[in-house]
Amino acid sequence: MILNTIGVEDMDALSLGSVFLATGGGGDPYLPMLLTKQALETFGPVRLIQVDDLDDDANIVALGAVGAPTVSLELLPSIDEASETLTAFETHTQKAVDVVASFEVGGGNSLLPIMAAAGRGLPVVDGDGMGRALPEAQMMTYAIAGAKPTPAVARDYAGNTASFNTSDTATYERHIRAFAMSAGGMITAAEHPMTGAFIKQAIIPGSLSFAIQLGRLLMEKRGPVAQIVEPLQALFSGSVYGRCELLFTGKVVDKSTRITGGYDVGSAIIEDFDNIHAPLNIAIKNEYLLATQNDKVLASVPDLIVVVDYDTSEPINAERLKFGQRVGVLAVGCPAFYRTEAALKVVSPRAFGFDIDYVPLD
Amino acid sequence: MRIGIDVGGTHTDAVLLDASTVLSSNKTLTTADVTSGIVNAIKKLLEDSGLEDSHGIDAVMIGTTQFTNAVVERRELCPVAAIRLALPSGKGCPPLTGWPDDIADAVGRHVYTCHGGFLYDGNTLAKVKLEELDKIIADIQQRQIQCVAISSAFSTMDATPEKMMKARLQKALPHVRVTLSHEMGSLGLLERENAAILNAALLPFADRVVSAFQQALQQLGLRCPMFISQNDGTLMNTDFVKRFPALTFASGPTNSLRGAYKLTGIENALVVDIGGTTSDIGVLQNGFPRESGQVVDIGGVRTNFRMPDVHAVGLGGGSIVSADGNQIGPQSCGHKLVSEARVFGGNTLTTTDIAVAAGYVAIGPHAHSMALPDSLVQQALNTMKALLDRNIDMMKPNAKPVPVILVGGGAILVNGDLASASETVRPEYAGVANAIGAAIAQVGGEAESLMSYRSLGREPALEQVKSLAIKHACNAGACPDSIRILDIEETEVPYMDGEVTRVRVKVVGELNALSGSREVTA
Repeated sequence: MILNTIGVEDMDALSLGSVFLATGGGGDPYLPMLLTKQALETFGPVRLIQVDDLDDDANIVALGAVGAPTVSLELLPSIDEASETLTAFETHTQKAVDVVASFEVGGGNSLLPIMAAAGRGLPVVDGDGMGRALPEAQMMTYAIAGAKPTPAVARDYAGNTASFNTSDTATYERHIRAFAMSAGGMITAAEHPMTGAFIKQAIIPGSLSFAIQLGRLLMEKRGPVAQIVEPLQALFSGSVYGRCELLFTGKVVDKSTRITGGYDVGSAIIEDFDNIHAPLNIAIKNEYLLATQNDKVLASVPDLIVVVDYDTSEPINAERLKFGQRVGVLAVGCPAFYRTEAALKVVSPRAFGFDIDYVPLD
Repeated sequence: MRIGIDVGGTHTDAVLLDASTVLSSNKTLTTADVTSGIVNAIKKLLEDSGLEDSHGIDAVMIGTTQFTNAVVERRELCPVAAIRLALPSGKGCPPLTGWPDDIADAVGRHVYTCHGGFLYDGNTLAKVKLEELDKIIADIQQRQIQCVAISSAFSTMDATPEKMMKARLQKALPHVRVTLSHEMGSLGLLERENAAILNAALLPFADRVVSAFQQALQQLGLRCPMFISQNDGTLMNTDFVKRFPALTFASGPTNSLRGAYKLTGIENALVVDIGGTTSDIGVLQNGFPRESGQVVDIGGVRTNFRMPDVHAVGLGGGSIVSADGNQIGPQSCGHKLVSEARVFGGNTLTTTDIAVAAGYVAIGPHAHSMALPDSLVQQALNTMKALLDRNIDMMKPNAKPVPVILVGGGAILVNGDLASASETVRPEYAGVANAIGAAIAQVGGEAESLMSYRSLGREPALEQVKSLAIKHACNAGACPDSIRILDIEETEVPYMDGEVTRVRVKVVGELNALSGSREVTA
């Protein structure tokens, strides 16, 4: 299913689908969704351009929020922050942007580009830089394919801006996170300027349309996880993702996370209801990264590990995962892009500090 | 002695307790005016117990669904001015964002946003502008709005902007009643603000409810204090209820869990409250209900009230049984049980018919003429137990065997032990467990704040939050000497600079009014 526009009626599905693809990260998209709906109601639907249809010389920039999801529970988003960031980027680079791209199809960041594009009458490219959520700039497909993150502009809630010109992506990530922390914990950034020709080989294609389809399925088939697996498998089999499988069902008997090196690091342990099988351990580093049972890797990053409510199949992000919750754990093969050597160098379990090789889900 | 009353949608349950002894109890239909039903229930309690007069009653505790129902049915809600100090953040999502139209209309759409609030690290989000506040106050005066909800960003950490707005507002308009968001809920500005708005909208109704209850007690010659139960299993005095009526939401399931605890003395257990249509399974942890971690929807409005984690299964006394006994519920004849069930001469095979045929209970004029095959009865009994066992297993905190307490009118459906339970407990008076829960409730206090352990040190930071929680409990009527810490929760906040921790403290204590009287023990 290819969409040509994104409208108000797609927002509930896009939010839900992108929480699923966020694999535990990305934050709560509730308010960004309401704001995007408003923007779409005011300015009309946003045009969605398929990756193949992009002009080779189109000026494209990626847009999204950087910071602590917890902060946005109190420091609420504003309807103009995405479009103002875009304008500040254009002013800084003295060049008009033609098309807006997404950092990640995960949580609120799948909605910000649409909010920005609506206010400015610009199209959005149907795709994103992760196909899921990941914590750092160098893990984006754009960076892996060789795009420089800068020139970049970041804007805080009050309209203060900072521009960046850095030597490499790791330095950029460090600097922009410092700005986010000192500007209230959550900022919006426009970064990774790219041409249409470049992004065609540096993006996960079709992921916005796919997230909407996925969200629709989750709404229509809302119910016990055992019943939703089959329709999910059918949907994923026709996508850029690999196969989808139900790894485990049970209840969360332990969950603890600590902040280590700027990440939210920890694990969750899930025991099955009948206590027949060994418990499932999920390693968390902002997102769900590894699912192991008796030290055997069942699924590992960059494949997607998704925790959903046992009764409703609603995806649960890591912040909300709590002791006592009854859940199902699903795994989905990542897009082929992330299985290349260059990509695995920055997104495999080893890139996150685990002494484990990536075990592809097959 | 204490009187406990639980006002539900259908039934009003009442119980008279002397320490841990139940002197009398009854179950009556809830009346439209609620109050006359309460008066009748208490009269009957006193009559049945043979008490000469009511002088020995120390307190009356009431759990009521009236405030929840007011929100759900959009009744009794008054216009509210909702003021948020958080600009320049949150442009485009002002107060009432995401509310269903009918309830937004019911509270009016008097929404104000202005500069103010804090950031996570204690820096100012924006300076409060007095001229903005005065403009809002003038508008409220002109619209003659009587109830106001005020919120500001990170007010759980620093509520100065909310307090400042309130002081300025009440200086200009002394009669206006105010709910501040930091008194209502935890982290999550929108949800906390929603809770404050709902609360403000219920303030005049709370006055009417409280004075109706007080009149009822007066009518009965009861001079003792009266308390209302709140969602965390603790009590509020009447002054507190008049300020925070929204804290009564979901007190019903909480009271049933607490009642099960008091009836058995088991601190860690699963409680299955079997009614007519569903079995509500909840978890007792250290004698209190385990809370749900989800965003709680009240009448279509997102809030972050702390609610007991209750899992409903479609199995009750009216649940319909398939012809082979393999399928039970979730369809139920509900209150039509007394005409549709086979034991009452109807044509529908219900779980109650099965229980009667199995000899668990003797009710209904047709109990002996049903002639249900033994194999069907046995199969249906197995299906019921399997259904409960499966759902109990899902709610268990861990794989360790745990006792299961059966309460509610439908508890007669289950005989013998449940496979999922280490022990199946059926306390006496299980049918009025919720009224007992109301009667034995304590007074609680809670505080939550984001603390920097780096600048304060962990211990002093914990002390700050503890003393705030104790202050809240004392304000709610707890005896200061009896207060104990129930729970301390420390959560490091993701991405933030190392040592910022969200600290939440819960305390409980005995009621001030009863501190001299005998303590109720199970």
